[in-house]
Amino acid sequence: MTELIGIWIGAFLTLCIFSFLYKDNPFFRFAESLFAGISLGYYIGIVAVNTLVPNLFRPLFGDFVGHAHLLIPLLLGLNLYTRFIPKIAWMARISLAVYIAYYVGINMVQKLQGEVVPQVGSTILNPIGGRMTPVDNLILIVGVLSVLIYFYFSIEHKKAVGVISRVGIWFLMLGFGAAFGYTVMARVSLLIGRMNYLFIDLLHTTADLL
Amino acid sequence: MFWKLRLPLLLTLFVGAVPIVTFFLTEHTPVIGPAVPFVRDRVESYMVIIAGFALLLGVVSVVQGSIRKIERRRPGWPFAISLLTGLLVMGAFGILSAMRVGPFQGLLTAPDGSDTPFYWMTRNMFNPLQAAMFSLLAFYIASAAFRAFRVRNVEATILLAAAFVVMLGRTPLGEYVFSWLPGGERWLPQVTDWIMAVPNAAAQRGIIIGAALGAASLSLRVILGIERSYLGVKE
Amino acid sequence: MNLERLVHIDRRIIYLLIALGTTIPLLLPIGLPVSSTPPVERLFDKIEGLGQQEVVLVSFDYGPTTAPENNPMAQATLRHCFTRGVKVVVVALFPIGGVTMAGEILEGVAGEYPDLEYGVDYAFLGYKDGAQAAMKQMMGNAFAEVFPQDFFGTDTNQLPLMRRVVNHEQIALVVSFSTNIIGEWWANLVNAQYGTPVAVGTTAVSAPKYYAFLDSGQMLGLLGGLKGASEYEQLLIDAHPELMTIYQQAGIYTAMKGMDAQTVDHAIIMLFIIFGNTVYFLVQRRDARRKQHQA
Repeated sequence: MTELIGIWIGAFLTLCIFSFLYKDNPFFRFAESLFAGISLGYYIGIVAVNTLVPNLFRPLFGDFVGHAHLLIPLLLGLNLYTRFIPKIAWMARISLAVYIAYYVGINMVQKLQGEVVPQVGSTILNPIGGRMTPVDNLILIVGVLSVLIYFYFSIEHKKAVGVISRVGIWFLMLGFGAAFGYTVMARVSLLIGRMNYLFIDLLHTTADLL
Repeated sequence: MFWKLRLPLLLTLFVGAVPIVTFFLTEHTPVIGPAVPFVRDRVESYMVIIAGFALLLGVVSVVQGSIRKIERRRPGWPFAISLLTGLLVMGAFGILSAMRVGPFQGLLTAPDGSDTPFYWMTRNMFNPLQAAMFSLLAFYIASAAFRAFRVRNVEATILLAAAFVVMLGRTPLGEYVFSWLPGGERWLPQVTDWIMAVPNAAAQRGIIIGAALGAASLSLRVILGIERSYLGVKE
Repeated sequence: MNLERLVHIDRRIIYLLIALGTTIPLLLPIGLPVSSTPPVERLFDKIEGLGQQEVVLVSFDYGPTTAPENNPMAQATLRHCFTRGVKVVVVALFPIGGVTMAGEILEGVAGEYPDLEYGVDYAFLGYKDGAQAAMKQMMGNAFAEVFPQDFFGTDTNQLPLMRRVVNHEQIALVVSFSTNIIGEWWANLVNAQYGTPVAVGTTAVSAPKYYAFLDSGQMLGLLGGLKGASEYEQLLIDAHPELMTIYQQAGIYTAMKGMDAQTVDHAIIMLFIIFGNTVYFLVQRRDARRKQHQA
């Protein structure tokens, strides 16, 4: 019975959201605000169950002496919330600095070692071998260089640089056109999922349970 | 001044250097070798926990804002009540699931196969709401394509042509278009594959390289304390 | 002909046509055939070639927003692994619904294989915050450091599978089903730093970008959107016909069934673009003629 009630609640909320296509209305606003609240409540649940309990509270309270060092992330994490107390809001900068610095450090290595070097390497190394034909490799090299030159705004795009930039724009248009086609595919897929839920899942589940 | 600015900047420098330095050093490095995996692993495990606390920062902001809206009866204040109700009920279910109290035995199904209250709300409210919200985009993209996609110049024509080839070629329709010709059912899909693998890859690679260099330089600026906006400091 | 009315068609007519174009093929399937592409075939061949003791790490990095695209990919890949007898470790790194998607899909697919034993043939470690930090720690150090317990609260080191899967050295392949940037982090962080082969099944929005990673070898295979999912399903059924019964069940959503609606909607949108541009050119021509007459 709870499954039946649940799926009909889901269908009702879906239709509340879809009602916005006709015009803005209180049903949509209600569903929208409920969505915002439930999403945040969901975060609380998954963070508590999947991170805070197994990685912090269980080891800390299970064997305090052996895991006393976990007080450091606990205090740093709680310190983030001092930003909501105006008198001591500056203290949150300490935790923010640690948190952001680490991910910025990872990001730097990731971008250079994981993106720039392999992407440049696969462009210029082995231009007549590999999986693609030599012509395709040449087109790829021309494309990458012309796009990079297009994005170099420190010199005026005139004469030779202007011509190469124009080629770069054409490659970008091909890429954006492909991206648009795939974006249409993605958006339509989401709608297919919802329509499948409303017209197939809902009716099948209702028929099975009644 | 030290506590409010200099200390955070020093912490940024040292903590930001950890993933970079430990990338190049290993436990076999002379002298400091044994400390490398210890520092790296400790910092990584701490970041997983701090990320959890950071994710919940938004909850406090939203609760504060909603309460203020209800107190001052701002336009749309009744909907703030539904927001807070959803948050409190789902959040309470989540915390009780973490404590494994009564019927709240985790985030999915209970040992007897029935849905836990948290999972029931996830399946019947969270999932449909989120999916429906994003599925509206299908309608908007169709409407926007009709109204705004105009072939005004050479570049727009190239974009439209590529979009059409991909939209046709990535569906079974693409095989039917030229199927009346011998071997024609593979033409459009193969042209689509070529567009994706060559010119599209070239354009995306150029964007990736440019963006990655920009991101790396911004990262260096943050670590060195040149960029301070993340601390709320006005330059 | 009133061209202004044609240019300003009520958008709700467009919405209605899209809704019908999506719903009717779902209720009355056409059954259009699906053919595969090299990026999908490469992932398929990799899993097909794995030995029975090799381990695949599957990461659920998406939520309900892209479930219609990612769910069929995840189901097909897990079915493929379980049919081949390959061991699977499942994690989730996407905060907005990743772990519940992972649990649902794994429960459903594992239920189709009654001989599978949890903890021996597959393990579900759950969700962890921190994404990149979690990736680095589990692949570079140990899974048990990031996931001291599995999703059900059992100590990770008590699971027979996890006693031999320590870090990246025991992982033959990572497959990430992603909705955003986490998919490319597996390639530019894990593959770059540890050399582990990575394949990504991603929403179609991200797929064009990932062709650059595919070409550089940082990604071994790519499933792009619903089309990629339908290709993998077709390859799976061609190689393992016994799975056809699952995909032919009434009321079960599959990517192959979704492709009918996808095709119709693509055709509708393309017709609207052609129609819009035709009206645009007619208006341009009419205005040019009017200017000429006035002059």
